[in-house]
Amino acid sequence: MSTTEFSGAEVFGISDVGLVRTQNEDRFAVASLRKTLTLLHSNLDDAPPRDDAPVFEALLMLVADGVGGNDGGAEASTAAASTIMSYLGSATNCFNRMDADADLEFMGQLEESVHLAHAQVVSTAADSHRPPATTLTMALLVAARAYLVHVGDSRAMYLRNGRLRVLTRDQTMAEELVDAGALTEEQAMRSTFTHQLVSAVGGSNMTPSLGLIDLRPHDLFLLCSDGLTKHVTDERIAAVLGQPWTVEQMCIQLRDDALAGGGTDNVSIVVARMLG
Amino acid sequence: MIQKKVCMIGVFGAGKTSLVQQYVHSKFSEKYHSTVGVKIDRKSVEVEAEPMTLVLWDVAGKEADEDIPASYVRGSHGVIFVVDLTRRETWEELPALAGLVQSAAGAIPTVVALNKADIPEQWVISADEEQHLSAQWTTIQTSAKTGQGVEDIFQTIARAMLKKPGIPE
Repeated sequence: MSTTEFSGAEVFGISDVGLVRTQNEDRFAVASLRKTLTLLHSNLDDAPPRDDAPVFEALLMLVADGVGGNDGGAEASTAAASTIMSYLGSATNCFNRMDADADLEFMGQLEESVHLAHAQVVSTAADSHRPPATTLTMALLVAARAYLVHVGDSRAMYLRNGRLRVLTRDQTMAEELVDAGALTEEQAMRSTFTHQLVSAVGGSNMTPSLGLIDLRPHDLFLLCSDGLTKHVTDERIAAVLGQPWTVEQMCIQLRDDALAGGGTDNVSIVVARMLG
Repeated sequence: MIQKKVCMIGVFGAGKTSLVQQYVHSKFSEKYHSTVGVKIDRKSVEVEAEPMTLVLWDVAGKEADEDIPASYVRGSHGVIFVVDLTRRETWEELPALAGLVQSAAGAIPTVVALNKADIPEQWVISADEEQHLSAQWTTIQTSAKTGQGVEDIFQTIARAMLKKPGIPE
């Protein structure tokens, strides 16, 4: 995939099957949604020059990590990503207003897209013995604001002034047990509960968490599947994002780090840099 | 149904997330998770026979090197300030945070949650100080851990948003 320049950000995504799995069940997508006033014909004296015409752009980034054997995981992540892109592509009023009240409506539409994806995955897997499911972490960047919807244990994070902050919390049994005080974080990290999802698109429970962040020029924003975070520490991710590299070089380096760390899972990474 | 945006505002660690978690999900965790950006939850309530959806913006707490962006507060219909009764700095920041809300959102309804009411032995705010604050603001003692005052604080802001009184001078 080539680097995409969007008004306000440059972005790149990459996915790799890893060194152990035979199939890549991860899916990622980067898509732009655009509304442009383009003057075609006019006899106006003060016709606005094209460069000054109002342009509304949004950038969709998502990572979905399918779970379930016999092609089911890949089908689930594909169905989720496709449903969301289709819905957001047709939700014409989802990003053309920039006022505060539009936030509430907008978050509702993003959440709705995830519920539609869930219904789609459930319906395609209705006959399966072990229904597949998928994680889903997506961000829609409108101007400098990133709207986030998150299900499962893929992650969103950003680097600002050398400090990496994780925006999502893993929806896993391990996290729940730590919250309940039943396990320490160290115990949880070593337990099999770390990979046991308590919420997944297509799963028996699906509870999207919603959030947003206002990004600043030079911030680096990252989405990834757990194929990255199970092999690469937050410190290393911060170090790579802190390099004076292109977003493509960052993605490739992080992918290589995940493979060098064992590559036991599919790995998908999307990195966006906010432009000044 | 009416939707109202309510921002949870305060210094980091005051208990904003815990209050929302207790109110929306009836959950409490001793483990502290620092909020990054804004977490959003919803809760449907009925206020004076009027159905209303509260859209709760749990805004990352103010830190020494990071102010709360005004852009998060803009468009709010109400604000719950959260003060940790065991940490004086969370109390001392209240005027500055109120100023931020006033300039970003205007004269909107506000309530102050005096949180960690379940551990009075650790309070550093005196009864006189609390009384002084209560003369200026609507205050409610809360405990995200026990649930004390939690329903009350959200019901109070919901009622206030129907009537729309402003921030005290």
